[in-house]
Amino acid sequence: MSQPLLKVENLTKLFPVSKGFLRTPTDFIHAVDGINFEIQPGESLGLVGESGCGKSTTGRMLVKLMEASSGHVLMSDKTHTDDLIDIANIPNDQMKRFRRRVQMIFQDPYESMNPRRTVFETVSEPLTVQNIGSLKEREERVSEMLRLVGLAPPDAFLFRYPHELSGGQRQRVAIARALVLDPSFVVADEPTSMLDVSIRISIMDLMLKLADEFDVSYLYITHDLAVARYMCDRIAVMYLGKIVEIGDTEEILGNPQHPYTKALLSAVPVPDPSFKREEVEILGGITKAINPPSECRFIERCPWAKDVCRTSDHPPLEDKGDGHYVACHLVESALTSA
Amino acid sequence: MSRPLLEVDHLVMNYTTEKGDVSAIQDVSFTLNEGESLGLVGESGCGKTSIAMSLLRLVAENARFDSGEIRLDGTDLLSLTDEEMRQRRWNDISMVFQGAMNAWNPVYKVGDQIREAMDLHFHPRLSNAEVEARISKLFELVGLNPAMMNRYPHEFSGGMRQRAIIAMALSCDPKIIIADEPTTALDVIVQDQILQELKKIQADLGMSIIYISHDIAVIAEVTDKIGVMYAGKLVELGSTREVFARPRHPYAFLLLSSTPSVTGPRRKLAPLEGEPPDLLNPPTGCRFHPRCPYATDQCATDEPPMEDAGDGHQVACWNWKEVPELGGLTK
Repeated sequence: MSQPLLKVENLTKLFPVSKGFLRTPTDFIHAVDGINFEIQPGESLGLVGESGCGKSTTGRMLVKLMEASSGHVLMSDKTHTDDLIDIANIPNDQMKRFRRRVQMIFQDPYESMNPRRTVFETVSEPLTVQNIGSLKEREERVSEMLRLVGLAPPDAFLFRYPHELSGGQRQRVAIARALVLDPSFVVADEPTSMLDVSIRISIMDLMLKLADEFDVSYLYITHDLAVARYMCDRIAVMYLGKIVEIGDTEEILGNPQHPYTKALLSAVPVPDPSFKREEVEILGGITKAINPPSECRFIERCPWAKDVCRTSDHPPLEDKGDGHYVACHLVESALTSA
Repeated sequence: MSRPLLEVDHLVMNYTTEKGDVSAIQDVSFTLNEGESLGLVGESGCGKTSIAMSLLRLVAENARFDSGEIRLDGTDLLSLTDEEMRQRRWNDISMVFQGAMNAWNPVYKVGDQIREAMDLHFHPRLSNAEVEARISKLFELVGLNPAMMNRYPHEFSGGMRQRAIIAMALSCDPKIIIADEPTTALDVIVQDQILQELKKIQADLGMSIIYISHDIAVIAEVTDKIGVMYAGKLVELGSTREVFARPRHPYAFLLLSSTPSVTGPRRKLAPLEGEPPDLLNPPTGCRFHPRCPYATDQCATDEPPMEDAGDGHQVACWNWKEVPELGGLTK
């Protein structure tokens, strides 16, 4: 197996819940609770789950917009290819170098851009910060990026402000800004969920094309399994801070094993009225992981829960064959195809 | 076939603005039968919410109905006085507004807010005990514990608030419910539960529902009939099964081709080039022609009428016969 681009080990984020007069934190929300995964160079991993499952928190920790409570995010270092370095240990004076390699695209193209900056200022900002090139070279680079993201001719867009652009065009600018430094890893947090259907596909196609051209890996955060299927090589399903299932996209969608994945998949509306879905009923609604008990996180909603689930700790992710990992006591190893 | 409950007949509505008229609804006709569910799909700004608001006559002040009729049981709603229309709202047609689950007044109990709607609109005058009994029956119907009616909105989760909104929409026994993006802000599992609930209620009560959504997968789940809208025009209308199996209008075809799905073969999706037009200056001829891969010279000059493509499947396109079969979507 080749060296992964990114390796996440026991990554955890706890948010304190303050109560009482002294506001001393008494409880903790386990937003992300000891997750592990790897991303290979050039591979895209989809992180799916419902609101509040910790997928955005994970994404933010990977680009160091948020410090982890514990655990490690290890990245391969381009200059010393053998070593993985822990991003938490990167000294402040080397953070700039880290940021050249890791970028983020946000959900809301209306909020992630400074309204008082032109497209040129927005896209050239990373180059300015990194001290790359002369003004002339930056201009050329920005024009080239705009052309690549489909804002052509660039001259028509360079000096526009965000309010003069449509939602789709803004997201194109956000993509240009994220890729202008030629990063190797980009966290994309629901980049198309605010866009209309017809525009969504062109942005998704653009991101796929650029992933190829720039040899970039995405962590693609989405609540939409159909979108994850279109964009990602592998999918990780999160539930209340835990990854409950991870594997190749078609394998997860075609042969889901974890009860939560099954329920999630069966609830996705299908644009085909003649399609009969399998009904998987799960109990109750999503809660918050405030000081969660040690047993399986999904136990309260799981219709198949058995004694072993109540008496053991939250099950670890186990390889059930062909890199299909499931965290459930009830799933036999050696998967049989459903 | 039963007589249509609701007939929208060549409706034309414009918004008057400083820059000129915005053509929000252009010559839209459809009917809704008793017990039937109709879905209206299209992208932002295509006029679907304008139609919903027109049916209730809750349009903005600058809206102007230029022609056409909206007949409910044969009566043109546009010819009623304001008071007559007020009497009809909630009793005949009620609505689940977009984002309504976030519009509960936080300082009143949910049950009391439903009671207020009934006090204002429900014709049979009920005693307090009867109102309470009715609300608890409605709560059961939408899958909520009746005891919740004495709780405040913040004690409800998002899905529960939406269920309570549906209970309120049902409170006056309407013939038609308009559900505008009823599940858009909800997570997929909750969305599925609410859609199934709505389907069940509709069947049990024999009600008619108009669903409005940008998500054609949601529409595919819950409707008998579907209308596809583009830039203020209804471009295709037919049974949901028919339209999804064999979309005739190029826009409907491209919309379906560009919708990712978790089922069926993994395939390349066809993007829809360009952006929706500015309705201050809608394109001449067919409003879709600047983005249409099948457009001919005629499309730029002549507006295509609704034509029957067989089995009541209607399409407004000069070249619908050129639109290929949808590959790989239907199984």
